[in-house]
Amino acid sequence: MKLSPYFAYAKKCFLGRSAYRFDHLMNILSTCLQIFIFWGIYRALYGGNSEVDGITLPMVTTNFMLSMGLGAVFCTNDYFLPDKIHDGSISTELLRPISFPGRMVAENAGNALFNLIFRFAPALLAAVLTIGMSAPAGAAMFGMFLISALLGYGVLWAISFTVQMSAFWFVNVWSITTIKNVFINVLSGSMIPLWFMPGWMSGVLRFTPFSSIYFTPVQIYLGQLNNWEIAEKCAVQLVWIVLIYLVGDMLWRKGQRKLVVQGG
Amino acid sequence: MKDIVHLVGVYTKTTAKSWFQYRVDALLRSLAVFLRESTGIIVIYFTLQKFDTLNGWNIYELLFLYSLLFLTYGIMIVFFTGLRDFGRTVRSGGFDRFILRPRGLLFQLIFANADWFAAVGHGGLGVVLFLVSAGKVGIVWNVWKVLYYLFAVAGGVLIQGAVFLVLATLNIYLLETGSLKELLYFNMRKFAGYPISIFHKAVQFIMIYIMPFAFVNYFPAQYLLRKEDMAGYPQVFLYLTPVVGVGMYLAAYFFWRFSVKYYKSSGN
Repeated sequence: MKLSPYFAYAKKCFLGRSAYRFDHLMNILSTCLQIFIFWGIYRALYGGNSEVDGITLPMVTTNFMLSMGLGAVFCTNDYFLPDKIHDGSISTELLRPISFPGRMVAENAGNALFNLIFRFAPALLAAVLTIGMSAPAGAAMFGMFLISALLGYGVLWAISFTVQMSAFWFVNVWSITTIKNVFINVLSGSMIPLWFMPGWMSGVLRFTPFSSIYFTPVQIYLGQLNNWEIAEKCAVQLVWIVLIYLVGDMLWRKGQRKLVVQGG
Repeated sequence: MKDIVHLVGVYTKTTAKSWFQYRVDALLRSLAVFLRESTGIIVIYFTLQKFDTLNGWNIYELLFLYSLLFLTYGIMIVFFTGLRDFGRTVRSGGFDRFILRPRGLLFQLIFANADWFAAVGHGGLGVVLFLVSAGKVGIVWNVWKVLYYLFAVAGGVLIQGAVFLVLATLNIYLLETGSLKELLYFNMRKFAGYPISIFHKAVQFIMIYIMPFAFVNYFPAQYLLRKEDMAGYPQVFLYLTPVVGVGMYLAAYFFWRFSVKYYKSSGN
């Protein structure tokens, strides 16, 4: 398999993003505000307590910064396929001698790299300077954090990929996409640290992919897991990527067979 | 006058028809808006299962605070969708059509379109939250409190309507204000779901004097709930919501009247 066309797509997407500067500034600000709000809430919730259930306030803020920061990097284009189906350009896309899912990965990767440099870095810097965050628990843990974060991105991408396939069956996927995002926001730990989820909810969460997205990397960063647990959690991330991708791929194959393009 | 009522009827009928053309889709969209807006509430609900209160506010009091925000937005968007989407109308040159018609411009913008999904999604959530919380926050309802509540809701609608009107008017000068609206309105609104007393002084200042969301929900809720953190603000703020609403709306209206004279079409 030749990789160069995929790199070209990734690069094109990266450069394309550089065009909208103001929009971009707003996104950084929005991420900062979000972190700032949750920091304010948890400062008030903690009152004078130095820790709750063994979790300190700096750990909580670090959780918010990392998961919201990663959220800003990961932000997948949920309408990539739906838009192409909607305007009919999917028919020419399918004629190209490259894998369409592969192209989706490439475009998203270009996007993510752009976000990492121009969104994550400035937002994190601003947050660290005003609020401060915990340092990683050692260089090895930081390395493991990076790997786990990449796997988390894989989980998020696979979910987006699979949900996008619904565009083959529904004209309007905005509702489904929005509902998907509500689930991710509430259950992934980016708005409520999963340490503080009610017990029954944590039980339910163990059978879902949501904690694999941000929470596993955050736990590794904070040094809450030993080597054995890290291996286990990363394996879980990998399993989710494969499982969800397989479902998406099945829908992708089925969808192509029933694809009807209106006009074009 | 009869003519105007008739025209409002026709407009309402056609927008309702176009929005509910695809019924399942309309329901699904309203549900999606409802869930998206519930995100903050679900989060605060789970959080307060662990921590009992947020700066002295329990979960029902926080839900009551939230309900005002959604209720006023739901009512507001029925009238002000035309202003929310005004940038698009200006850029596409569609505003020229409005100018040629023999009716007031603002009248047309207000009644010609309504985002019913947002109205049902936000307003419905506001009603649900009110029903869940109002009985449990210890408010003894009497005629005065009901009247106060109605005036506060009307004031909250006007405050947000005025913000939309000003942002719409800026389109005449700037053409594109989407990001500005995102920054000033939607981002600041994220703070409004919580008692503003927990935030930094700078945020409180903005919420009271610049983008006065505090008068949409915090101070009206304080009048009815009387929490301790009200000690940090002048008592008179409890009664100002309708005044701020009418004042802001009038100012926005004159700004609009003044600016429309300078409108130059971007279309061709």
